[in-house]
Amino acid sequence: MNPLRHTFINRCQTTTPRPKEYPALPDKLRYLDIGCGGGIFAESAARLPNTLSVTAIDPTPEVLKIAEGHRRRDPKLIEEGRLTYLNTSIEGLPVPSQETEKYDIVTLFEVLEHVNAPRPFLESILPHVKPGGWLVLSTIARTWTSWVVTNVMAEDVLGIVPKGTHEWRKYVNEQELRDWFGKREGWGGVGAVKAMGVVYVPALGWKEVPGGEGWGNYFFAVRKDF
Amino acid sequence: MPPRLRLIALRQFPTRPALQFRIQLQRRFTSSSAAPPEIYDVACVGGGPAGLSLLTGLRNSKITSGLKVALIEGQDLHKNRLPKHASLDGFSNRCSSLTPASVKNLEEIGAWSHASRPRIQPYQEMQPTTIAYMIENTNITTTLLSRLSELGGVDIFSPQKVDSISLGTETPSLDLSSWPIIALSSGKTLAARLLVGADGANSPVRTFAGIPSRGFDYNRHGVVASLKLSGPGWGGPDHKIAYQRFLPTGPIAMLPLPGNSASLVWSTTPERAAVLKSLPEHDFVAMVNAGFRLSVTDLEHLHTMPSGQVEEVAWREKATPIDARSIPQPVTAVQSGTVASFPLKLRHADTYTGERVALVGDAAHTIHPLAGQGLNQGQGDAAALVSTIEQAVLTGQDIGSVLALEGYNSERYAANNAMLGVCDKLHRLYSVESGPVVGLRSWGLKAVDAMGPLKGFFMSRAAGGA
Repeated sequence: MNPLRHTFINRCQTTTPRPKEYPALPDKLRYLDIGCGGGIFAESAARLPNTLSVTAIDPTPEVLKIAEGHRRRDPKLIEEGRLTYLNTSIEGLPVPSQETEKYDIVTLFEVLEHVNAPRPFLESILPHVKPGGWLVLSTIARTWTSWVVTNVMAEDVLGIVPKGTHEWRKYVNEQELRDWFGKREGWGGVGAVKAMGVVYVPALGWKEVPGGEGWGNYFFAVRKDF
Repeated sequence: MPPRLRLIALRQFPTRPALQFRIQLQRRFTSSSAAPPEIYDVACVGGGPAGLSLLTGLRNSKITSGLKVALIEGQDLHKNRLPKHASLDGFSNRCSSLTPASVKNLEEIGAWSHASRPRIQPYQEMQPTTIAYMIENTNITTTLLSRLSELGGVDIFSPQKVDSISLGTETPSLDLSSWPIIALSSGKTLAARLLVGADGANSPVRTFAGIPSRGFDYNRHGVVASLKLSGPGWGGPDHKIAYQRFLPTGPIAMLPLPGNSASLVWSTTPERAAVLKSLPEHDFVAMVNAGFRLSVTDLEHLHTMPSGQVEEVAWREKATPIDARSIPQPVTAVQSGTVASFPLKLRHADTYTGERVALVGDAAHTIHPLAGQGLNQGQGDAAALVSTIEQAVLTGQDIGSVLALEGYNSERYAANNAMLGVCDKLHRLYSVESGPVVGLRSWGLKAVDAMGPLKGFFMSRAAGGA
């Protein structure tokens, strides 16, 4: 799954038209990873050559301890300022006063489906995104297929995730996100809304499926207007 | 080198972590006064064609050129370089047949234009297109070194031996306990995010990683020599042909070099190899000519003679009808000091990757030389590992992690395993001395020659097919 996240982020940045006044992509990117868990994405983002810094937050102290321990295995990741873990929720993270201190890429991977109130949650994230920056998330659609896969198969039949991990009612559909951002001033202008459906294929791993955002796991990204 | 001996002994018992832990602790105390290791993204042990091709590929790629890379080679890389204007009268006895796929890769990494072209001989068989290029191994390494020095950015430790490889240590701020630490004979230590074993069939890197290599010895030696023929070949200087005759003891192959030169690889029993090496030069020449012309029974007798083969071969040739144009032109001389031999083996490592370790070339596999695939497999490994590392860099993966290296192993293992198997079966098919297989063999040989499926297999691999 993790390489696909980068593939998707890269695609968002390189295939979306940019306004004439801002023709070039920034040389160095600032990332904010919300709900970083053990740091799988945060570490990989911090290793990219065009990354300036990664701030990774999670409200659970236990997972951050694991992330901090794992980071020490890579000398590159302990370079000053490259990767910072903070034990906080997004609501607890101060919004930078300067636009330049905001983030080029704000990521929210496999978090939205566990959130009780997705709208206010998303509201609290938006101020952290730099103009021209992207909010990138991955989650799962609320359809009968996802109910069978996540609640019946994963929890009841196969038992690969703890029971009660998923609450199908909380799932958010891609169209709902699209509509929500569509009504919002300053987001997703000139077609800067992207989605990509993905599916887990046993023995092959996560693969892209065209149209998959309609019924299963998907990536969604929207750019803040310049 | 006591540390390495200890390490090897240790790695033979990979299922005993308690022992490993104790030894690691001990090592930690003994090396506590030394300077901290210098950290590299890729440290390649071995500056042969596979290792150099890998490093050139990494330096040539925009994606991987930001990696910090080191090369460690026990021999003096600069002393072994091919002199710029080396005479075309003599050729090294260590030559390889580069497939178009390997040449394409060398072109892509910007190396091929550095090659000494007058020393390379393309050959065509019976078709108008080139099927492969005969090249001295030293020409390949010199070519790659020229390209590498043009690209720059590689820390080269040569000539320097690897004294030991051990795992790093853990401190409160940095945990290098999964990182290989390479101690050089100079006393310098390197920590490798990815340690590449391009260090040959007896790979110390493979031993460090605890990766078993399985296989067997063929009980055959490959006798090599640089030869002069009576002419540039039946097709003239622009249409060269490679010849291979399957004898019960193994194939004898004559591969074209520029001008009237040719390269010999004669696979035979160790006893016969010893006889061939002991012969006076003119008798050796007579034996090579006999190898392509006389019957198996004649050859058996000729190998029992300590000398005098010249007269014996001349006499026996008179009684043997041959189609001169279907075999190489007669050998007239052997270049002094080029008759040598090496034992033939089949080896295959169980896997090409481990935690922070990847194997390329002979460190991963050793093949029977009858199809000239060994060096090409190493070039294929290097190219595949470069693209795996590129993928990992693009997606921010730790290039030393097992997960990031998975693609390299799955891509190359199956391909190399198929090639090892086919060459092994060919050797077996042609080396049976009695029974019904002998009849089948002549049919099999014809089938290979007549562009049968097997030849198709080699041709498609040679051209770069999967």
